[in-house]
Amino acid sequence: MGNSISKVMVKMFGYREMKILMLGLDNAGKTTILYKLKLNKIKTSAPTVGFNVETVSFRNVKFNMWDVGGQDRLRPLWRHYFPATTALIFVLDSQDTARLNEAKEELYSIISDKEMEDVVLLVLANKQDLKGAMGPQQISDYLELNDHLDNQLWCVIGSNALTGQGLVEGLSWITNNTKAKDKK
Amino acid sequence: MSQGIYLSDQPVRRPQPAGNSLVRKIQRACRLTLDEPDLGLNLDVADFINAKQGAAPRDAAIAIVKLINSRDTHTAVFALALLDVLVKNCGYPFHLQISRKEFLNELVKRFPERPPLRFTKVQRLVLTAIEEWYQTICKHAAYKEDLAYIRDMHRLLKYKGYVFPKIKEEDLSVLRPGDHLKTPSEIQKEQEIAQAAKLEELIRRGRPEDLKEANKLMKVMAGFKEDNAIKSKQLINDELFKLKRKADLFKDMLSASDAPNMENDTLVELYSALKVSQPKFQKIIEEEHDDDALVQDILQFNDTVNQLVQKYSLLKTGNPGEAANIQVQSLSAPIPASQSSGALANELNLIDFGDADEQSPSPTPAGTSGNSVDDLLGDLNNLNFSQPPQSFGLGGSIALGAAQPTTQAQTAPASGLDLLSGFNDSVSLSPPPPPPRQDLFEANKSAFDDFTGGFDPPSASRVQVFNSEHLKIEFEILRRSESSIKLSSFFSNSGSAPISDLTFMVAVPKSMVLKLDPQSGNFISAGVKDGVTQYGSIENAYHNAGKPLKVKWKATYTVNATPVEETAVFAFPQV
Repeated sequence: MGNSISKVMVKMFGYREMKILMLGLDNAGKTTILYKLKLNKIKTSAPTVGFNVETVSFRNVKFNMWDVGGQDRLRPLWRHYFPATTALIFVLDSQDTARLNEAKEELYSIISDKEMEDVVLLVLANKQDLKGAMGPQQISDYLELNDHLDNQLWCVIGSNALTGQGLVEGLSWITNNTKAKDKK
Repeated sequence: MSQGIYLSDQPVRRPQPAGNSLVRKIQRACRLTLDEPDLGLNLDVADFINAKQGAAPRDAAIAIVKLINSRDTHTAVFALALLDVLVKNCGYPFHLQISRKEFLNELVKRFPERPPLRFTKVQRLVLTAIEEWYQTICKHAAYKEDLAYIRDMHRLLKYKGYVFPKIKEEDLSVLRPGDHLKTPSEIQKEQEIAQAAKLEELIRRGRPEDLKEANKLMKVMAGFKEDNAIKSKQLINDELFKLKRKADLFKDMLSASDAPNMENDTLVELYSALKVSQPKFQKIIEEEHDDDALVQDILQFNDTVNQLVQKYSLLKTGNPGEAANIQVQSLSAPIPASQSSGALANELNLIDFGDADEQSPSPTPAGTSGNSVDDLLGDLNNLNFSQPPQSFGLGGSIALGAAQPTTQAQTAPASGLDLLSGFNDSVSLSPPPPPPRQDLFEANKSAFDDFTGGFDPPSASRVQVFNSEHLKIEFEILRRSESSIKLSSFFSNSGSAPISDLTFMVAVPKSMVLKLDPQSGNFISAGVKDGVTQYGSIENAYHNAGKPLKVKWKATYTVNATPVEETAVFAFPQV
């Protein structure tokens, strides 16, 4: 029932609901991004132990955004959040070049999971305001997504959670690139 | 859903049997061409779920319940057989799924509000399944608090009048937890699987309270691994201790006589329990090599087990002389002082207390019976009372009040039944407590009185139930038939102040039915004997039940303007 109503809604208003999973190493800025989008405020947060979930409405889409803590010992638990995910936002600290490889490994281990084979991937190269931050293009090259992803849609966008730069672009990219899928 | 036939842009392919390979496997196991449920196919599904985890248990449960509700009996029966296999083989993740409210509601979708005169085959199987879960995983599973909805559904069906079939003991034993010694890594793995399943379920439900719990659980899973480790260590110690008890029992049985009966089931079972756990010792030592106390303990225990095994095989091959030479020291005998500093030793002492009546090789009779009696009383304390309708004081409505069956008065169907069933269990487990001698004596005496007085039929006897400075309660117990007892209660005021607001309640074990007529009054003047009487009967109380019938009673009254409450358990003399 509920399913068919939402289908009607999609047809009439293009109204949709989707689950977005936000992952990334610790201290990348996931929680800050979440609350910037939700409240348009900068909420200084302690490292997330566990997860946060908020709904963010954007255009006709209701995003259920899950932000799961990125500390070492939380990472093995990420996979429990995979089911029913439409889009993955992988957040990177662009200045933290020392751990870029670690981030890359984590990213590949996520998207190689069977549950995640249909998600669209948005990489947010966060903290663009900091000195010495790598640009989105540089990061994109480093991640070599082009060579490794055949079926998945992906995109790297530079962002700054403090000003909100790049966040809305990211969401609209996700919106635009998931519509086609639903029509099928 | 209701689309016509048309060609779309996509090429026309053979219709994929809906969804993923899991659903396909399930459909294959339930397809019509099979003559009977194929255990191989069913186990295949179980293996697949165990390997995949994640959403697999949930998907399987949903797919199966859909098949159970299909109009075709054959498919439904097969689906129920598959369900049974999965419950038995997929552990907690699947148990969590069958205890979901949605699943259970689906499962009984084809049950009418009122039970039909005859159950269909499918209905009977569904009832069997629920009863089986209720008796096993709801009671023994490590995380049984997560399975509360199964209990609720069981209660609801019962309340609606559905009767559950009896389950064979051997079917139940499959789902009972075995006493296995597990290595720390095995325990941890089990924990991880269970916690992961729970976390995913909580995330899926996504209600605020679920998310809160999920967050908490995640912290446990990630942050406090140590917590889990401690728990697993404790589990090992528990199991080790049980095993030691078994070893001692084994030893005692072997040395009890020169030629013990080697075919004795208990003996064989103990032997295999010890033998099976030996390889585990090795693994535990490997994994826990930095815990010296534990390693020492296990090594020592292992030696003992080796000796026992040797002794057993010598006896078995008919060599009692050599066997007698092997002196095995007792394990749960007082632990040497040098060892008691170890963590394990302390642990043992702690466990010793609670476990005493289960596997103790040399039970101390007083302690054991004391324990079980305590348990019994504890259970009795939970009983609900059935109170006769207080028609007294309403004026002229005696006939109405007396005619009403009274058992329904207070037994709330939900919680009451459960507590009562608990009571039943404990009664059947505990050894029959010795009948209270004093009461018997009283009974004889008053019987004698009655005889000389000649008022009552000779077989009736008065038993004093309770006597205080104010109130005295006596029962007159008369067996009317093989299964029915007539119970008359007499209340006397032995004090010098009047007793008012007297109410008397009785609770009997669940298997019996109590009917109480209203009290003849609720006021007794000072010094009046038999000022209030109350008649009732207990049905289903069989003559040779093997254990004394016990009832719990409660009397409340007001004397000197202070309310008094008296309650106790009363064991009936044999009648």
